[in-house]
Amino acid sequence: MSEGAAPAPVLTVTALRAYYQTRLFGIDRDVRAVDNVTLHVNANEIYGLAGESSCGKTTLIKTIAGAIRPPLKVQGGSVEFNFHGRRVSLYDKNAPDLADIRWRHLSYIMQGSMSVLNPLRRVRNSFVDFAFRHIHKPMAEFLDTVRAHLLRLHLQPEVLDAYPHELSGGMRQRVAIALATVCRPEFIIADEPTTALDVIVQKGVLTMIREVQREIGSSLIFVTHDMAVHANLCDRLGVMYAGRLVEEGPTAEILREPRHPYTAHLIASLPRIGDVAPKKALEGTPPSLADPPLGCRFHPRCPLAMDICKRENPQMEWVGPVHRVACFAAQPGKRQ
Amino acid sequence: MTSYSGYMLRRFGQFVLVVFIGINLAFLITHLTPIDPIEQTISAATSFGSTSPEAIAMMRQALRELYGLEGGLWQQYAAFWKRIAVGDFGPSLSAFPTPVSDLIWRALPWTVGLLSVSTLLTWCLGNLLGGLAGYFQKSSMLRFAGVLAMGFHPIPYYITAFVLLIVFGYLWPVLPITGGYRMSMPRGFNVDFILSVAQHSILPVLSLMIVGLGGWFMGMRALVSNIVSEDYVQYAELGGVARRRILTSYIMRNALLPQVTGLAMSLGAIFNGAIITEQVFGYPGIGTLLVSAVHAGDYSLVLGLTTVSIIAVSAAVLLIDLLYPLLDPRVKVR
Repeated sequence: MSEGAAPAPVLTVTALRAYYQTRLFGIDRDVRAVDNVTLHVNANEIYGLAGESSCGKTTLIKTIAGAIRPPLKVQGGSVEFNFHGRRVSLYDKNAPDLADIRWRHLSYIMQGSMSVLNPLRRVRNSFVDFAFRHIHKPMAEFLDTVRAHLLRLHLQPEVLDAYPHELSGGMRQRVAIALATVCRPEFIIADEPTTALDVIVQKGVLTMIREVQREIGSSLIFVTHDMAVHANLCDRLGVMYAGRLVEEGPTAEILREPRHPYTAHLIASLPRIGDVAPKKALEGTPPSLADPPLGCRFHPRCPLAMDICKRENPQMEWVGPVHRVACFAAQPGKRQ
Repeated sequence: MTSYSGYMLRRFGQFVLVVFIGINLAFLITHLTPIDPIEQTISAATSFGSTSPEAIAMMRQALRELYGLEGGLWQQYAAFWKRIAVGDFGPSLSAFPTPVSDLIWRALPWTVGLLSVSTLLTWCLGNLLGGLAGYFQKSSMLRFAGVLAMGFHPIPYYITAFVLLIVFGYLWPVLPITGGYRMSMPRGFNVDFILSVAQHSILPVLSLMIVGLGGWFMGMRALVSNIVSEDYVQYAELGGVARRRILTSYIMRNALLPQVTGLAMSLGAIFNGAIITEQVFGYPGIGTLLVSAVHAGDYSLVLGLTTVSIIAVSAAVLLIDLLYPLLDPRVKVR
């Protein structure tokens, strides 16, 4: 967008709206979990998606992954991938069958990988189920490829013969990462892959994710509510609040100089060495996405709220070459 | 493998314990009932005229020896185990002097055949249809099958047995309604005889299946519709794993585990399930034998049948349990 000469982004999301539509006792209700989100992810980039629980992060990446099942429904906007020139638009009228794209070009590391492997199948069979059709080799050679890949990720090839319950939590997560990267996909979606792990294992897993991303040069969208993880891993960061993207920019820049009061608060909540004063919690709770407040959705909790914030919805505007923010207080021209 | 043999050993120990307790209970119950089979026999034999007291005493002594009822309770108990060890339950009272074990061996294949065929068929069909109904929740045909299964399920099986009897024996008499094979036919291992047996078993099997199907169907449907939303199924869908593979290896296989336990339990119910069906269709199995033994006060036959069914049921459950770790690798670890 701003960098004209840069290669086309791998993922472009435009004005995406995805609502949960429920009908209870004859009353229709829309939960606007993803409301007018526009973003892109460049090649060879780790894009972090931050925000507290139930802000629409997981819904956004479900929509990006094409994993829509009722009551979730895409209301508008587009999700377009560009896999080395092969364009795939997920919510077009003539959207392709995703089965041959999945895992070859687009793979997924899921939250809670304790349970993402079939408990009754040996790890070997999971690899065969997911990856065999994409790696055009006979079975023996395919398994050699898998073994080599596991070794590269510091896993013993013997894990192939194990059942998931025979592996530790950290190993299972690493097996899940190996599974998601064995086909060397251009785009990987990682949904809180480290949330259930203790910090030591977490560090190992993060290092591994970065290593494998560098090695195969894929793009990664990494979702977590843990700002510390974002600070360590991501090139660029997008912050979501109540179904909307409120700030986006290079991780270092956002951490140093957050423009949106919500981002500033998320960052202030990070513990720092030498801190003595207890952390202040943000007043109030996130709004209900079924009935969000008018104007800026953050205004009821915002220390900088002005009159306009209650009436008008701030749009994402550029405040730096690659830094956007949706806040009237941060957009000097809009001050009233 | 060592953990599997440990599991096997433990399970086998349990089996021995259950059989031991069960047989003890059977012994106790039969010995604590107020009905004395020997006095009953004597009163039956002497009701038509006067018999000298000496003759009655001799008769009592002879009968006691025959049935292993000499001495006190402990002596009887020891004699009882000695007989069980060699599979001898003494002569039958109602079919004197045929040994009880002969009667049981003659009836056992009929019951085991009838019940194992109907139970396994019901289990396979119910799980297959229920699994499909849980996976393809929008299919109207499978929904209709669900309504049907739920409707038939609460009907007692003897009612369906009678209805089948009336429909196929009276209104539209195309199937034999009684017996295990054609009366005039000599028994033998040939095509005609086997066909006749199969033909005679259609109605009893059907009466058991119609009722049993609903339980498996509804259970499996509920299990599958839960498993569909498990992480590993959703992950496989995100991974573009082939649909057929997801349905078989990810959904059905996992949903079947509790159903296998259920199968073991219902194999355990074979002996009480058969009694009424066999009565209605005049089937020459264990159930019919047991009912007539109770009516005739045939003490040793009842005890023999009870013992055999205790061993058979425990063995069936043991077999399923030993196969279970092959289906679910997690069991071994426990």
